[in-house]
Amino acid sequence: MSLLRASSEAVNTDVKIEQLEDGANVEHGSALVRYTESAVRLDSDLTESRDHLLRIAGAQALVEAAATVSAFEGLNRIADVTGIQLDSGLVDESADFRSDLGIDSYAGATSTKSHGSAQRADNVMGIFR
Amino acid sequence: MALTEYDSELDIDPMFATTHREVWRRLGECGTWWTGTERVAAMSEARAAFECQLCSERSDALSPSMIEGTHDSVSELPRQAVELVHKLTTDPGRLTQEWANATIDALGEERYVELAIIVCTQYVIESFAKCLGLALLELPTPGEGAPSQVRPTDVGDVGAWVSQTLDKALANVSRAGSLVPDTEVLWRDIVQCHYSRGPEFAELVWNRALSRPQTELVASTVSALNECFY
Repeated sequence: MSLLRASSEAVNTDVKIEQLEDGANVEHGSALVRYTESAVRLDSDLTESRDHLLRIAGAQALVEAAATVSAFEGLNRIADVTGIQLDSGLVDESADFRSDLGIDSYAGATSTKSHGSAQRADNVMGIFR
Repeated sequence: MALTEYDSELDIDPMFATTHREVWRRLGECGTWWTGTERVAAMSEARAAFECQLCSERSDALSPSMIEGTHDSVSELPRQAVELVHKLTTDPGRLTQEWANATIDALGEERYVELAIIVCTQYVIESFAKCLGLALLELPTPGEGAPSQVRPTDVGDVGAWVSQTLDKALANVSRAGSLVPDTEVLWRDIVQCHYSRGPEFAELVWNRALSRPQTELVASTVSALNECFY
């Protein structure tokens, strides 16, 4: 979520992270979210949502979406099973929206002791300091 | 025998097939704490977890710990190893430190981490195939040899459930499997291929078929669906 906001700001897009389910005001956002939901849940409409994304965004975009879905299926699991804490920069970067979006109520939240201080990092590596 | 290319009309970048084929083969090799046969057995358990009745009932339950029973196992792996593989595959967002501590006590910290890396790496490769409607690869041929059981010297308590390298060069998630570096390298290779791609990770503007905001929208959606805090 932090990198969604930061990367959107970098291209002057008014991202709406509180409207993730509707695509967050990202180009082809609703189709990307629909495809992602179908893929993660292995829903019966996966073929339909895949074909829709293919039609509107193209084959290479579809493959990149699949690569990202699968990468984060793995990244979520390695984070959860090893109980890592949020990086201190990430705690600060996400402090202003974690609670509002319900993220602080996830089971993995107990691994991170600090709540952060709502500071924005200057760059990507600052987020993961 | 793994496929050398993905049979698809999507003109998938050969980077994926090449990386998947190599990582897949190495997942079947003898590890640092598990034999090749055991690692491939774990991979077969990860596939079986999707059809496991206990996993299904736990996933549907308000609290998974309320549901007792036995996993539909397809291997001779220890019970706690089967539990780790199945639960990590089907219900990762509700893992607890208490559960992890009990599993680590039974298996050993290093064996816990190596198995976790195998499951996560396999999950990425197989999820990619499912996302695109591709056939799953056949399980790799188990490699021979005996685990070296060598623990790195630069690891310790960094506030996670398992020991990790004390050198925080990048994000915490990038060192999550550092207790077993010879297997962790497979995990790193697959994440590099699918997402971070070297120094490009540090750039907020990407020249890919998906822009970085589009990629991060997908990433955020996956994490929200899995209720992953990180």
